[in-house]
Amino acid sequence: MNVLVLSGYGINCENETLHAFEVLGFKGKIIHINDLIQNPKQLNNYQVFAIPGGFSYGDDTGSGNAMAKKIMTNLYDQLIDFSLKDKLIIGICNGCQILINLGLVPSLNKKDPEVALIENKSGSYECRWVDVKVSNNKSPWLKNISTLNLPVAHQEGQFMIPINLLKSIKANNLIGLQYIDHHKKLAKGQFPFNPNGSKDDIAALTNQNGNVLAMMPHPERAFYHYHIPNWQSKTLKKFGDGYKIFMNAKKFFA
Amino acid sequence: MTNTIQILSIEKTGKESSLQKEHNNKSIKIIDGYFFSTNLDDLKFTKISKLISNDVSQTILTKKNVNKVLSSYSNFNWVVEIKFLPGVTDNIATTVKEIIKDNLKSSFKSFELGSTKIILIKGRKEDITKISKNEANPLIQTIKIYPFKKYLNNFKKNQFKIEKVKLPKKKYSKKEINLNISDHQLSLIGKLGIEENDKSRRGTLGLDLESLKAIRNYFSTIKRKPTDVEIETLAQTWSEHCKHKIFSAKIDDIYEGIFKKYIKGATEKIIQLRKDNFCVSLFTDNAGGIEFNKDWIICHKVETHNTPSALDPFGGAITGIVGVNRDCLGFGKGAKPIANTYAYYLADPNKKYQLYRQKNKDPMLPANFIAKGIISGVRVGGNCSGIPTPQGNVYFDDRFAGKPLVFCGTVGIIPKKIKGKLSHKKKANPGDIILMVGGRVGKDGIHGATFSSEELDPNSPVSAVQIGDPITQKKMSDVIIRELRDENLYSSITDNGAGGLSSSIGEMAKESGGFIVNLEKVPLKYNGLYPWEIWVSESQERMTLAVPPANVKKVIKRFNARGVEATIIGKFIKKEKAIVKYNKTEILNLDMEFLHEGYPKLNLKTSFPKIKKEKKKIIKKSILIDKLHKLLSSPNIVSKEFIATQYDHEVQGTSIIKPLQGEGRVFGNATAIKPIFDDEKSIALSQAAYPQYAETNPYDMAGCSIDTAYKNLIVSGANSKKIAILDNFCWCSSDEPDRLYQLKEAAKACYDYAVAYQTPFISGKDSMFNDFKGFDKTGKSVKISIPPTLLISSIGVVDKISHLTKITPDDGDILLVLGNTRNELQDSVYSKIIGYEKSKNPVVNSKDALRTYRNFEKANKLGIINSAIGIDLGGLGIAVTKMAIASKKGLTFDLKLKNKISVDQFLFSETQSRILVSLKKNKLPNFKKIFKASDYTIIGKCTGSDVIEFKDNKKIMRGKISDFAKSYKQNIKGL
Repeated sequence: MNVLVLSGYGINCENETLHAFEVLGFKGKIIHINDLIQNPKQLNNYQVFAIPGGFSYGDDTGSGNAMAKKIMTNLYDQLIDFSLKDKLIIGICNGCQILINLGLVPSLNKKDPEVALIENKSGSYECRWVDVKVSNNKSPWLKNISTLNLPVAHQEGQFMIPINLLKSIKANNLIGLQYIDHHKKLAKGQFPFNPNGSKDDIAALTNQNGNVLAMMPHPERAFYHYHIPNWQSKTLKKFGDGYKIFMNAKKFFA
Repeated sequence: MTNTIQILSIEKTGKESSLQKEHNNKSIKIIDGYFFSTNLDDLKFTKISKLISNDVSQTILTKKNVNKVLSSYSNFNWVVEIKFLPGVTDNIATTVKEIIKDNLKSSFKSFELGSTKIILIKGRKEDITKISKNEANPLIQTIKIYPFKKYLNNFKKNQFKIEKVKLPKKKYSKKEINLNISDHQLSLIGKLGIEENDKSRRGTLGLDLESLKAIRNYFSTIKRKPTDVEIETLAQTWSEHCKHKIFSAKIDDIYEGIFKKYIKGATEKIIQLRKDNFCVSLFTDNAGGIEFNKDWIICHKVETHNTPSALDPFGGAITGIVGVNRDCLGFGKGAKPIANTYAYYLADPNKKYQLYRQKNKDPMLPANFIAKGIISGVRVGGNCSGIPTPQGNVYFDDRFAGKPLVFCGTVGIIPKKIKGKLSHKKKANPGDIILMVGGRVGKDGIHGATFSSEELDPNSPVSAVQIGDPITQKKMSDVIIRELRDENLYSSITDNGAGGLSSSIGEMAKESGGFIVNLEKVPLKYNGLYPWEIWVSESQERMTLAVPPANVKKVIKRFNARGVEATIIGKFIKKEKAIVKYNKTEILNLDMEFLHEGYPKLNLKTSFPKIKKEKKKIIKKSILIDKLHKLLSSPNIVSKEFIATQYDHEVQGTSIIKPLQGEGRVFGNATAIKPIFDDEKSIALSQAAYPQYAETNPYDMAGCSIDTAYKNLIVSGANSKKIAILDNFCWCSSDEPDRLYQLKEAAKACYDYAVAYQTPFISGKDSMFNDFKGFDKTGKSVKISIPPTLLISSIGVVDKISHLTKITPDDGDILLVLGNTRNELQDSVYSKIIGYEKSKNPVVNSKDALRTYRNFEKANKLGIINSAIGIDLGGLGIAVTKMAIASKKGLTFDLKLKNKISVDQFLFSETQSRILVSLKKNKLPNFKKIFKASDYTIIGKCTGSDVIEFKDNKKIMRGKISDFAKSYKQNIKGL
């Protein structure tokens, strides 16, 4: 099991993302986007493609946009190809914004991006822990998980989806994660449970096969028990909730 | 054909909502505009606008649709167009250029573009003027206000203009300066700068008469006139900012100066006593380094960026944080930044101070604009760089109205050995190539080092402002840390900060002997810079490397492959000469010795200051619960959660003790990160400053700062043998004997307490003239000086995860105060908010304090302590309330009075060296084995109810935790 973790131009969560995969037994490599463009064939050596969080191009012209355009011009076909195989793709935070801008999720009409991630309703950057529930448990990334406690850290995490498209996203069961409140009920847009005002409390989307997951929260930052806020007051096992996502990737190839 | 692309969000953006709310106007829309230097044909327009916009969420304005699209939002009638002044860093434009270049390879030859923010409103001209004042800074941006009709007309007739840097085409010819002139003429050069041929002046050099005379003498011995470049270079190198002349000067009978005697002296004394390997690299490098574990070194540096932040708060602060990141990159062979810290000392954002740099003109920015700008500058700098920013604080006082203090710190980590060689040792060798990497050079930041050493007055140059570009730096930093360092491809590295190349190369050349630089090789942002400007420019995001010739090709190739420029600009030599050439003409040739040591040493005298007696305020009669609410909601105690949530403190996956603590989210005074995945050791961070105590007794003020910064780490669980501290002195009027007296006293306390606590100083920085000289709104001249401020930052190693403490007690816990409480309400928050009668200022007794700390450490390691919080501003009363808010658990507090002090003195005195702890009941016997009965007081217990109960002999006073939390979490007015 090999994972390619993308880096370059302001992506900045590559080390901890790679570490999470490695703990689960993946062999991995951090590869700079320019090196991948130089030699796209190396994608064949990998089963998982991970775009970590960060600030590619400083979020200028919209978060994830510039990196998505670079991929579109140089690597688009290879990445589509990757997504059509029995392989996994995950985009976390900035990676999620990049996947959305590429149109790899929800990918219902397979052309232009159909969904946008816009500025948080609060107008400010939000670094805080949230609870999410798994809505699409068919996705290999999310199987057998009910809820997760994870941190978000973003300025532009509000999913904007045209009404008709939202209908078909729901009909096709492509909502990956949704923000919930303390009573495990949908947050219904209520801050801070829903940190960005996202439509239908959406925190993650998948493609139709479920093998591509674009999620705003950071599982790699909730990997160990000591990542969890106030861990000293809780009885916890070794790992935090984020671990489950990476475990699912391992199980997929088992 | 068009020369503009303008994009707007279909739905209301977060920014638009907040503007609408702030200005009570529902008709506000923001457009992202890009102005091009050439016309775009339809095909290019379509291609480019698709590349830089989002189909789903945005609309691209065209000549055809502009009217219709905009009128669907409102009947706008006013427009403000905000763009950067020519030459000011425009990060968005840089990204857009890169996107176009990357994706439309051959379709453009060369073009310029600028980003613009266009705000439309329906309202009056006054309204749009008000908005523009809140959204733009005339020092770095042009602001154009015009009617909406004109906007439409501009759109249709391609009349949006980009302003390029227009520098006169000039041929450089070597300029020699005659210093054989009158003292008056000489001091004009120092104060206003070198005179140009047209009689204009270049801007302050910050050189005093004595320094200019020393320069004159040097050149008369070598029998020639100095060049302009030589004088500029000496001004940079000898600036207070670079040489710390006041700290190294003879002061009264201290011949070696206060730095050598008190700061370095303390560290040397401690090293002599300790005999371990804790201190690795002190004072000599860009940051100070200590041992983390057997394989790793951590380094820490804290900088200030006060003057630039007064002029351009956002730019000043972002430059401050990305600048101090480079100090870590420049530590040893290059440490990876792993945490940022911040501390802001600001004027009340809710007040209008109305200060002017010149009579009735050139106003200071409003206090809330400064506060907001500083907070967002560090946010963008830290977040975009992928460095967590867990630790910080904010303090408000009117005396920061003329100059805010902005402290930015960074912690870095580096393996002890790289390819078998010690990583903290570096040496540029003769023959090594000088490589400049990262950003290009422009006019930004010219004279930054010289002017930050001066008071802020009408002659403060505005070109001294820079704006950081964190992404360019991130790209550069990734190459250095990941792809070069561990292969030992360069022999030395340093950061280009204050003084630019003149300073970085000048410093590094001490390692080899000297240097030769060819300035025409330096890549520029735009043509037309004079050689002296290239040499001293403080354009950001640059590092200087010394690379052995055999590795140069490889190194440049690696940088280029990641989209980073790297340029050979000279070489290091053995001869102790500083030589600079421009197109083969030698324009600087100085002896290294004179360059670094030729400045006249100061001889300073101090005198005991007259103590200004604070007016006695009458205590307002109010009940205890109300007093607690008043203190909790006062700006210096109220929660700073709104900053913690906008600063990413989780990136890198290392956050282990977060800034917001407990279910009730209390803003903590120490945080911790666990930097290595497979080692359970953590790094605890804290900081403290007490400017409010400074005028009463600067010695005690410094003692309190060290005590608090140290205590917070002990409380968090750090190993007392592995704590180091950093000093940042921000002083005022440091040419006045009474201010120097205060400085000497504070420095003396630094020695005494550091030695007592065995905490070495590992790095420091000072900023000596934080004064504002200008005018008030009536045109009366005013001088506002900051209160002397000594920020002590502390960094410590926590050996085990189980040693990390929490601030939340559990049901049934007993509450105890460690350390005795004295009547020390002078200058406390209580005395400011409630009033005081007769009291004393807090004085640290290091012997008592150390007993408390050692016992606490022992008890904590044995698992006796269940929760703990350091007692600081607002005293015990606030600490106990914070515990309740954090845990959402009720407490009882028995107001047993000790030492004949009153209830208010017991609750609100800011006596130092105290810790509030909670224990499980069954741990009390073990606790008593460690602590003497006279060293603690049992004050109550955790009940788990929803109230805090204060009991004295007569009555019970109750306050609901949720009400306290509400007071504590109030918004700070004006922010």
